[in-house]
Amino acid sequence: MLIDPNFIIMSKSNETLQCPTTNYYGSLPKNVDKKREVNKKPTNRVEKIRNRYFETKSSASIEFPYWYTRKWEEKEGEVSIVRRAEALRSGFEHLTPSIFPGELLVMGKANYLRGSYPMPWLSEAFFLAKEDEMYKEALEAGKVSADEVTTMGQGGGNVTKSIGNVMSIAGKFGMRKEEMPMLLKIAKKWYNKSVDDIGHKYEQMVPGYNTKEEIMRAVICMFDSGYTLPQGREVMNYYYPLQYGIKGIIDICITKIDSSAGYPDMDRIYFYKSVETVLYGIQKWIINHANEARFMADLEDDKKQTDEYIEIANRLDWISNNPPRDFRDALQLIWIFHISVLNEDAISGLSPGRLGQVLYPFWKKDMDEGKLTRESSIELLECMRMKFTEIDCFASMGVVGGVLSGNTFNNLCIGGLNKDDESAANDLEMHILESSMTCDTPQPTLSLLYDEKLPEEFLLKGIETTKIGTGYPAWVNNRVAIEFLLENFRKEGMQLEEARAWSIGGCLETSAGSWMPLEFNGETHYIPGGSAPATSVGVHFISLPKVLEAVLYNGIDKRTGRMVYPPHNKKLTSYDELWQVFKDYFSLTVEVLTLTNNIQHDIWGKVSPSIVNSMLKPDCLDVGKDISNKGCRYNRTFNVEICGGVNLANSLASLKKNVYLENNFSIDKLKEAIDANFGYLTAQEIGSYSLIEQKKKDTYEDWLKIHTQCLDAPKYGNDDSFVDNIFRDWQHWFSSMCENYKSLYDEPMYSCQISVSTHAPMGAVTLATPDGRLSGTTFSDGSVSAYPGTDRNGPYALFNSATCYNHALSQNSQLNMKIHPSVVSGREGSKKFLEMIKAYLRKGAFHAQFNIVDSRMLKDAQNNPEKYRGLMVRVAGFTQYWVELGKQIQDEVIARTEYEEI
Amino acid sequence: MKHKDCIYYLPVDAFKGICKRDKSNINADDDACENFKLAPRCEYCSNFELTAENMGICMKKYDAYPQMNASTCAEFHLN
Repeated sequence: MLIDPNFIIMSKSNETLQCPTTNYYGSLPKNVDKKREVNKKPTNRVEKIRNRYFETKSSASIEFPYWYTRKWEEKEGEVSIVRRAEALRSGFEHLTPSIFPGELLVMGKANYLRGSYPMPWLSEAFFLAKEDEMYKEALEAGKVSADEVTTMGQGGGNVTKSIGNVMSIAGKFGMRKEEMPMLLKIAKKWYNKSVDDIGHKYEQMVPGYNTKEEIMRAVICMFDSGYTLPQGREVMNYYYPLQYGIKGIIDICITKIDSSAGYPDMDRIYFYKSVETVLYGIQKWIINHANEARFMADLEDDKKQTDEYIEIANRLDWISNNPPRDFRDALQLIWIFHISVLNEDAISGLSPGRLGQVLYPFWKKDMDEGKLTRESSIELLECMRMKFTEIDCFASMGVVGGVLSGNTFNNLCIGGLNKDDESAANDLEMHILESSMTCDTPQPTLSLLYDEKLPEEFLLKGIETTKIGTGYPAWVNNRVAIEFLLENFRKEGMQLEEARAWSIGGCLETSAGSWMPLEFNGETHYIPGGSAPATSVGVHFISLPKVLEAVLYNGIDKRTGRMVYPPHNKKLTSYDELWQVFKDYFSLTVEVLTLTNNIQHDIWGKVSPSIVNSMLKPDCLDVGKDISNKGCRYNRTFNVEICGGVNLANSLASLKKNVYLENNFSIDKLKEAIDANFGYLTAQEIGSYSLIEQKKKDTYEDWLKIHTQCLDAPKYGNDDSFVDNIFRDWQHWFSSMCENYKSLYDEPMYSCQISVSTHAPMGAVTLATPDGRLSGTTFSDGSVSAYPGTDRNGPYALFNSATCYNHALSQNSQLNMKIHPSVVSGREGSKKFLEMIKAYLRKGAFHAQFNIVDSRMLKDAQNNPEKYRGLMVRVAGFTQYWVELGKQIQDEVIARTEYEEI
Repeated sequence: MKHKDCIYYLPVDAFKGICKRDKSNINADDDACENFKLAPRCEYCSNFELTAENMGICMKKYDAYPQMNASTCAEFHLN
């Protein structure tokens, strides 16, 4: 859910003080006397670019889908992948170029600053379902008033309602009304031809399909992955363009076609032809921007700006064909390929990976030659941050709001080890950290791949950045990731040396990488890059508390009254029986979702295969196969994602203690209490989604005793073996059971544990739970974060609970903590903070991330969003502008336990 | 004519943009100034025929719409 001004709760006191710091861009509530410890600003140039961004609304256009669809129809009868390549080429060639004043890095997904577009070839159902409503609005022409546009400030860049000649789509994107009739016409052309429609036709052949539909209807599973976000949660590989340049890759394709034509395994020709075709489109797209830069130069009076436009034009001309000559060429080129991939699919979580190590050879040469200075280097990196922050992903409201919170998860990793087992941290990464403080924006988010071999100076720089309050870098355990990768990818040939090339894809998905031999400046540099396709495809977000609810109610979704699972008809007389039924229901869920999602992804590969991303990923270009035909070096990437694991463990602990061990109440009595929401109004009724702000009904005393017993049952996060053992049993069983199911690529699945934003909408449809959580309130975030307010024994007790199982069993674990700024202030505070993180990671934890913020400020920001345009918080694997978060997530972040002592 | 119809209009988002000439911030739907110069759009192309409100046909075979940018279209010929 996106911010709706009607949901904003007015504070009891509207008194605020002007914020004395620059980076919060707002006011501080009274009594918040702690100033931000570090205040840094970007260069004047980037400050202007950022201010422009703050004033910009997310906007969608239909240029690309128009030209894509037009060419697609024209090429009917062509080999499918070549037909798609021709369509993509046409889309790229026809995008209107935009160069914004002051930019050093140029080009974007579309011609708007925060531009994106719908991809009806993936799914058109949303537009057709809304057809009548959209037509009606489109016919009501209006006049845009500057005042009306100004009122859109609340909610950041989200266009939450239609105004004048701009229509709101999916509660986030603005689109010109004159484009709507064509959008609907294009959507109709894809009816029964999109990945969604064709996949739906075939997934109905899966036995148990009806159960899958009921699971989706009950929101036990959040969304299908095959047509919503078919790529992403993966790491880019920029090697081929950096090594060969675009012309060089085209030449490789032509050579490969010559050596493949007429020979067996001829599908290779079509793949190479497709790559060649799309690259011509990307070349034209770049050249169109070079021409636009010259047009802008001709109109310019300012000599410096004119020179910059000319330099941009010349640079674009060069890299439209050739490998980069210097750092800025390289940065511009990788950016172009990043958005090229984003333009071929609806994608979230396309991570640049270990970019500071990829670009280091170019940067080092320029620094050595004096072509770059520290200041110019950091300014370029600030410009890069703005380009990544401008990325929007066009998808339905449920996906963009409910899952992504408007974020795009471009994770840049620093640190880790190099090919030879040495620290990979470098000086460019120090500049990346610095630029992420001077230009604190959500993208790219940072993850520090922690290893004992990393230098202390580097780690303290990471701490300095984390302390600034932007939520990054997240701290991630290098050794745990390597253990996970070797366990899961050894069968495909992964060795320890290559496992070190890993990185985070998306918010927190451990992703396989490879070392690529970049020849530059007379040396061979082994640069890391992603070598596996999308992760977090497969079974996306199973709500564990909701499955437990179905267990208690004999397979029924109480909210809708529909039968989701076959009734188990058991009296649940023992904990073991209850646990077995839970495992049966969960297994059935994974089974039907795996099969149906496999079909969706198979159809995606046939109708809308990846071409640009395939070209970039080793070893697709070598073997002539795209990603969907297992062209990547590593292919075991499908996973099973869950949400609400801590609420499940707490609920099982409550059931075990109260129902089965101490007989405090019966299952039936508990269900009565759940039906009555323990005597409270629901979260929806009061418009607040955290447990701490719920309102009692007159009858609450009828349920007070049972509610207290539920709340007093052992809670995860306190180093209590009673509940931690339950949590560990769940973890071991979950990771093991995933291997029983095979992905489309005939590889076993593995477990993945991130909530992203799903803990809000999934909590919203779930009744009260046996742990005392109330109906509609948000689940605990992440995977090992304690439920807000229940971790009462300090951070080290939480760490013991969190590490009660082996984190390498899963693709990730996720711990969010909120710490008051005063706790970590000063150099001593930094050291104490670093030691605390080290202690957690040394216990075998995979990940921790922090909001260093006073909760009173967040509450004030919720009440006065217009004063906090720049305030950012860490949600669950990503940093997002506060004002662009839905209220459910805002409530959850405010409610998180705030540590005032470590 | 409106700003959005001008060749010097640089759209920032669906509501507003920047004048490429003087760098001022302008609303897409406000009236254009004296420096206005027509931007290439389908509605001004000899290959385009209007068939309904906000809909038309290009080269007698492709669906098209009048406000579509045509600066990158090789078939654009000013009417």
